[in-house]
Amino acid sequence: MKRFVLRRVFTGILTIIIVFALNFVVIKMAPGDPITTLMGKENNSPELRAALEEKYGFDKPLPVQFANYLKTAVKGDLGTSIIYNRPVSDMIAEKVGATVLLGLVAAVLAALIGTVMGILAARHEGSAYDVIASGASYTFNSMPAFWLGLMLIILFSSLLGWFPSFGLSDTRAGYTGMAYIVDVLRHMFLPVLTLTLVLLPQYFRIAKSSVLQVMNEDFITTLRATGMSEKKIFNKYIFRNAILPTVTIFGISMAYLITGVTLIEIVFAWPGMGRLVMTAITQRDYPTLMGIYLIMSISVAVVMLIVDIVYAMLDPRIRYE
Amino acid sequence: MDKKYSVKRLWKTITGDGQLLAGIIGILLLLLLIVLAPVLATENPYHFGEDVLVGLGEKGHILGTNHMGQDIYSMVIYGVRTSLQVAVISALISGVLGVLVGGVAGFFGGKVDAVVSEIINVFMMLPSFFLILLVIALFGNSLYNVMIVIGITTWPSNAKLMRAQALSLRERTFVKSATAMGETKTQILFKYIIPNGIFPVIANTTMGMSNAILTEAGLSFLGLGDPGIISWGQMIYTGKQYITTAWWISVFAGIAIVITVLVFYLLGDGLNHVLNPKHVNGRE
Repeated sequence: MKRFVLRRVFTGILTIIIVFALNFVVIKMAPGDPITTLMGKENNSPELRAALEEKYGFDKPLPVQFANYLKTAVKGDLGTSIIYNRPVSDMIAEKVGATVLLGLVAAVLAALIGTVMGILAARHEGSAYDVIASGASYTFNSMPAFWLGLMLIILFSSLLGWFPSFGLSDTRAGYTGMAYIVDVLRHMFLPVLTLTLVLLPQYFRIAKSSVLQVMNEDFITTLRATGMSEKKIFNKYIFRNAILPTVTIFGISMAYLITGVTLIEIVFAWPGMGRLVMTAITQRDYPTLMGIYLIMSISVAVVMLIVDIVYAMLDPRIRYE
Repeated sequence: MDKKYSVKRLWKTITGDGQLLAGIIGILLLLLLIVLAPVLATENPYHFGEDVLVGLGEKGHILGTNHMGQDIYSMVIYGVRTSLQVAVISALISGVLGVLVGGVAGFFGGKVDAVVSEIINVFMMLPSFFLILLVIALFGNSLYNVMIVIGITTWPSNAKLMRAQALSLRERTFVKSATAMGETKTQILFKYIIPNGIFPVIANTTMGMSNAILTEAGLSFLGLGDPGIISWGQMIYTGKQYITTAWWISVFAGIAIVITVLVFYLLGDGLNHVLNPKHVNGRE
């Protein structure tokens, strides 16, 4: 177990270093030279160029520049937005809550509903329900999430007028207390529905295939031969064995929670990371984009590390690979 | 897997798997659409007409027009070209990279494998959509950039499959006898390991094509698509502003994406059933 954890920690650290290296390479390779931008169009004096290069450390060899870059990043400095002139980490900290709220609710709903639907489909394989549910799972899996969001807006907001189509709450109404919570829930409905529908197919498919697989195992046949009731076999043996892959998928999806929500947030003008990404793109605020990429990659690496360790604690087969 | 399939057996395999059959028919229809696009389209999709934001069936526009007066129906038809181009080229890049990296790791084994596997693990963890987004935002949003970046960020899953195949293939007798015959490692890799181990990668690459189409659409929706071409993602992006007044701009482009992605998923799943050694041995 100790060896497994150490190995995974090593991979995690390596991932983070590679993320920084990738970011560094992208900055270096990108068209446009920051010194030229700083100097402006009119000025072309080599002395000024040399002085600026020295000030920002561009005269040092690339490995030294990379080491300096790592040093500032480790201190928590992920760059400064060139539009808002604020640290990127602060801007992300403000927005990440709304994103996690959306992503977490949808992930839990999708995992629960998808797993139940998948188990039912496996237990009634070939039935009309199975055919319809599997077909729907294929279709929703092929759908761009942002388009599904737009379709739900057309249906529930434009045509039926049941739910608001943008924002986190009605700022003009100025609700407080319970009314505010209800307002947020109403605003959450469509984005959560979209995200749940998009995430559902993977849980459906995993649950269905793993239940089918366990049902065909020899020990289940043996249990049947002993005359144990189907219900007991399912509850005690099939379910327990078949649920493990779902737990893994759920863990992995936690790591990608933020990245998956971004596009849907833009559709619904949800005030989270998605809006930050969108404004950064339209205003060509590259330091912000890079900061977001760094934070996302690091959080993915860390969450994956935790998921792997927890999973290895649950399932001994993993750590003796 | 080295048995030669006769035409009859191939036909039986295809018709025996519903998903594969549906996928192949779907691909053929899409290819037909590409070839016949100039005939089927009622207008030049790049032409900015006078009928702006015209509804369904009005003034001879079957699916209406957008804010620039472009014919939606013709745009949807021409969009197949862009989507398939993105799918095929990025999947090819990803497939070739994956096969080479995975093949080398699995076949050479030892220290090479340890290092390469670690790299594969690391790249599997990177959130690729954001890397793609960052690169496109910085380097410009031409379709070629989009295809290349999708290709070089999605190879790790292919590499993982190829590595597993190469690991088991190198223990097989025909590979060992080739070594005994004095063939070089490179020859063995390209003559025996890759041709015999590539089947799961083909199935996976087909699945990757659907993801490439979705990624391109997602980038276009963020305003990072190639402005010089017609793409479904961009149609949805522009249609977003008119969602309450001219819903047809984004609705039909989205349906086209769903159908195309579905076709590639079905094809990939079908190929997986037929080509994956695990499944083949499990059958009959």
